[in-house]
Amino acid sequence: MINLAQKDIAHTLGKFIVTSMGVGMLLGIVLIMIGVYRGMIIDAKVLLDDLNIDMWVVQENTLGPFAEASRIHEDMRNTIKVIQGVDKAEGLTFQNLQLPSKEGEVRVFAVGFDPFGKIDPINPKRLIQGRGLQRSHYEMVVTDKTGFHLGDQVPIGRDVYSVVGITHGTVSSGGDPLVYVSLKDAQELQFLYSNARTRNDRARGIKALNSHMINAVVATVKKGYNVNRVAEDIRQWKHKSVYTATQEKTLLTKNLIKMASKQIGMFTVILVVVSTIIIALIIYTMTLEKIKEISIMKLIGLPNRMIVKMIMQETLLMGILAFVFANLFAHLIYSKFPKRVVLEMPDAWILFLVVILASILASFVGVRKVIHADPASAIGG
Amino acid sequence: MQSTHAIKVENLVKHFGKGDALVEVIDGADFHIDKGELVALIAPSGAGKTTLLMMIGCVEEPTSGKIWLGDEPVYDDKWLTKEQRKIRREKIGFIFQAPYLIPFLNIIENVTLVPQTNGVPKEKAEEEAMALLKYFDIAEKAREMPALLSGGQNQRAAIARALANKPQIILADEPTAALDITRSVNVVKMLKKIAVDQDVAVIMVTHDEAMLPLCDRILKIEDKKVVSQPVPENTKMI
Repeated sequence: MINLAQKDIAHTLGKFIVTSMGVGMLLGIVLIMIGVYRGMIIDAKVLLDDLNIDMWVVQENTLGPFAEASRIHEDMRNTIKVIQGVDKAEGLTFQNLQLPSKEGEVRVFAVGFDPFGKIDPINPKRLIQGRGLQRSHYEMVVTDKTGFHLGDQVPIGRDVYSVVGITHGTVSSGGDPLVYVSLKDAQELQFLYSNARTRNDRARGIKALNSHMINAVVATVKKGYNVNRVAEDIRQWKHKSVYTATQEKTLLTKNLIKMASKQIGMFTVILVVVSTIIIALIIYTMTLEKIKEISIMKLIGLPNRMIVKMIMQETLLMGILAFVFANLFAHLIYSKFPKRVVLEMPDAWILFLVVILASILASFVGVRKVIHADPASAIGG
Repeated sequence: MQSTHAIKVENLVKHFGKGDALVEVIDGADFHIDKGELVALIAPSGAGKTTLLMMIGCVEEPTSGKIWLGDEPVYDDKWLTKEQRKIRREKIGFIFQAPYLIPFLNIIENVTLVPQTNGVPKEKAEEEAMALLKYFDIAEKAREMPALLSGGQNQRAAIARALANKPQIILADEPTAALDITRSVNVVKMLKKIAVDQDVAVIMVTHDEAMLPLCDRILKIEDKKVVSQPVPENTKMI
């Protein structure tokens, strides 16, 4: 039996492939969008995974330090350290900075920590050049995406910092590149006011503000202790909000990037719908171009199922080809995006199923045209 | 005993519209066409030639009447089978004004499309198609696409396609409309030869009076009736 779809496609192969490539590029954008979402989820967890701690202690009644602002006194880490069940505790600060570079301003997310403390947020596996922080002042470790190199001198605030280490793949939950500075430097940058401001405050009767503040205390729990029990003790007796590592991840992934994921989800759905409509329009146009031949085929007695099969096979093949081109296109360009894009096989397979479903839906417009084509129109020129 | 009638029509009526908008196109047609006959169907434009052709071809449903194709009654005030397309596929060959070959199939695929749909194995269908293409002197073009053939070669391929399912009837809708007189005469002579050689009935709609002498008989639609006429003596010699 002659396969009409195969013959028709072979007859207009170039046009069919170019059309599939066009749809494929659109579907490629869908894959990239999903990849951006996956990247956001991974980015949100990088810092948390690198810290590898059990608890986050933050300002009471806040969802700090990422979802909401949190300020607590630095000495709270000492208080936490002595609570039964706590193994290690350190203070951390977090703040966005704009660093001057040769290419212009670089927006970064700075993590301040005690280089001599027991919890180091710099994952040695991510350190690709140089070393970690070894001094209390004027050293910084940057991620490679900032564009800085080892030994670069970077002016921040009133001081100049030396780049002593380069990491790879370290970003904040917002996708900004991470830089690491000492806790003392970070506190000065975040909490120390200028002399003019200090004089102005004094004139207003405001006492000098304490710059020994931090945004959160992170802690690990000794073996054999229940992290939830220890967290509950801190909540009850120290009047702080405490989140376990799992809760903090949830705060980041479910709450902080919820809106962003909804936004991306909307774009993805719209792109899939647009792709379906485009496939449907292409199939409709292809069917219209063949309507005289379809009328003749019906007139000479070909059953509807043969003609419908041709339309459906062509639509499905277009969908499959578009999916292949989408993957090629997405894999070709995903690394060019400034933020992390993660292309995962399960997402690709889900898109494949959606494309097949969309192709079947799209073929209905062509099939409808076939069913309503009048064989009598073949007679009479 | 089998009838020699390839087509038999009794009291065939076709109306379009209803009430005040009712248009009577055919009102009580009675005629038959025998196997081996080439019959010209003539009438002024809009008189119902194509409608009659489509009713015989099981495309357009009559308002009432009876139609037999060979010994098989296909219409008796209603279609006697739901599969008119199967009847067309198995009993009828169509020839159009233009070749209307399927452009994405090569010549032999165009010719074997209906037989293969009827269940004839590909090899046998191709063997029979090649015999037809040889008959029409275009066997060497069997694997070519229609776009690469001349108009005359395509028209012969279209006639081969109409014969490929071994039909009892060939319905030709103005097959000479786009041809010059020499080619028109050749096509009609070819249809006459086919009618005789293949023992099929051929109805040919035509406006060209010069083709009438080549036919065996004329069916003329006059006042909504179908009148059978012999080919006029004075034109027989043309």
